[in-house]
Amino acid sequence: MDIQADRKVNRRQDLNSMFKRVGLKLKTDWQIYVLLLPALAFFFVFNYKPLYGIQIAFRNYKAAFGVTGSAWVGLKNFRDFFTSYYAGRLFINTFVLNLYGLLWGFPLPVLLAILLNQFRNQRFKAFTQTAIYVPHFISTVVMAGMLYLFLSPTNGIINHLMGTSTYFMLEPRWFRSLFIISDLWQHSGWNTILYLATLSAINPEIYEAATIDGATRLKKILHVDIPHLLPICTMMLILNAGSLMGSNTDKALLMSTSGNTPVSDIIGVYVYRMGLEKAQYSYTSAIGLCVNLINFVMIMSVNWFSRRIGETSLF
Amino acid sequence: MTAATKPVAKIRETRSDRIFNAVNTAFWIVVLAIVLYPLYLILIASVSDPDAVMMGRVLFKPVDFSLIGYEAVFRHRDLWNSYVNAIFYTLAGSALSLVVTLMAAYGLSRRFLAKGLFNFLIVFTMFFTGGLIPTFITLKDMGLYNTRIIMVIINCVSVWNLMVARTYIKTTLPEDLYEAAVVDGATHFVYFFRIVLPLSGTIIAVLSVYYGVARWNDYFTALVYIRDRVKLPLQTILREVLASLTTSTSSDAFFSAYANDTKGMTDAMRKAAVAKYCCIVVSTAPAVLLYIFMQKYFVKGVMIGSLKG
Repeated sequence: MDIQADRKVNRRQDLNSMFKRVGLKLKTDWQIYVLLLPALAFFFVFNYKPLYGIQIAFRNYKAAFGVTGSAWVGLKNFRDFFTSYYAGRLFINTFVLNLYGLLWGFPLPVLLAILLNQFRNQRFKAFTQTAIYVPHFISTVVMAGMLYLFLSPTNGIINHLMGTSTYFMLEPRWFRSLFIISDLWQHSGWNTILYLATLSAINPEIYEAATIDGATRLKKILHVDIPHLLPICTMMLILNAGSLMGSNTDKALLMSTSGNTPVSDIIGVYVYRMGLEKAQYSYTSAIGLCVNLINFVMIMSVNWFSRRIGETSLF
Repeated sequence: MTAATKPVAKIRETRSDRIFNAVNTAFWIVVLAIVLYPLYLILIASVSDPDAVMMGRVLFKPVDFSLIGYEAVFRHRDLWNSYVNAIFYTLAGSALSLVVTLMAAYGLSRRFLAKGLFNFLIVFTMFFTGGLIPTFITLKDMGLYNTRIIMVIINCVSVWNLMVARTYIKTTLPEDLYEAAVVDGATHFVYFFRIVLPLSGTIIAVLSVYYGVARWNDYFTALVYIRDRVKLPLQTILREVLASLTTSTSSDAFFSAYANDTKGMTDAMRKAAVAKYCCIVVSTAPAVLLYIFMQKYFVKGVMIGSLKG
């Protein structure tokens, strides 16, 4: 009896002290919550409220009835999409464009960072670094505009130099190459930042030791630089895997012309056209939800996989 | 020629290293040419004679210097209206983003109750979103469609920037500093405003460039959320001018603006050809110049922030 009563008292004291501790923490830490509040409010309105709005994918949304008032139609919108002529083409176009983009766009910045890191002349290195970041600051509209200008069949410099008059922006076979090449031009330099930061954090003693052991520059790259870059590369790959079904709608929309729709029609463009230009809100919400789910599953599985085989993972 | 005339290297490089260096330097000269030439070409084309540009004669330096394109751009009403709009959206939006992001970044850099939950709520938005249409409908239902407010508050916080700022604050401000401030009676507010902010110049510069350039270059938001022409930002008008196959049709802004000119249609077409290059210069200069001015803080700040802390 005595022991039990003692325990009760103890437990009560424990609880009391816990409340006290929490209270004490809140007394000083409430200001942290205040500082976080504006950001949380933003995420609530622009990210979490729309999550609730996803239900229109399962309804026949009519503006007059609102999100919750429109008729429930179950999976009809999903069926409509997957049985339509466009579904296959859209998935293939989106996936192929992203895959090619990743195959070229992922290794190039790593290579550039490694080679830039080899510069002895610091002034030339700094200049090069500044220069290769510049295209990143050009807007997508201007980038597309440059393509239209340089590739114009009548006035464009490319056709003048080659003595041809190819309709680059109209021919489907040029779309993907132009899309990816212009992306590489704009962002490869910029994307070296992360890798350069990683390389600059390598302990110089490792290089010194390698030099004393007679390692050439090439050997140092292979045996020092690349192993140090692997974890960050894995992380970037995981992040990129999560957007293999995503769409760079901005750019595809700007580059799509009447001629190249068979390949430039990607999911994001289709959702924009059908959703906003033709007001098929429910139908396009269903498509958006599918893509989101695919991307989510993809990033989770790649993350799971890389945690299984290596040590690197996002979470 | 002889060993005596050559400067003696501190550490003699091996033959393979010298070859490597030569190849590397050559490689980078090619890369720099690829990166910079298109930009240079736009610059020289914008001040050349329209005929020379259209004939492809402008390659290395301006041909028949003329400012006819810039003249056309400066008289383009819609463009200047949208330019002013873009300046407003960029300044107001970036200022808001900066304040909100820094506050949250400081919060997340400290330990507090239920931090894991808040972290999760924020990071989750990176991986799962409502998608274009549900977001559009939600914001429209809130009465934000076709308002200037949406152009300022949308994309207010980027999770990536928030994490960069958090890492920066965590790694550059020593924990002792916080403890010393607490001993002196500082609350979180006082510590944040009096100590963290004044010491975060670098990250403030980085975030201003990130947010500022993103807003200046954004055209998609206006495409989705703005209907009135007077509220459109620069990039949307630029899209009409630049990203179309037609070099000059009646819908082309430059053509219609100059169709009434005395010299008539051919003249308008000629102007439109160079005016596109001038538009690119006028619209891109602010973003690139901002980057170049901030460059000093920029590279350093990005590197500190992007390293995992």
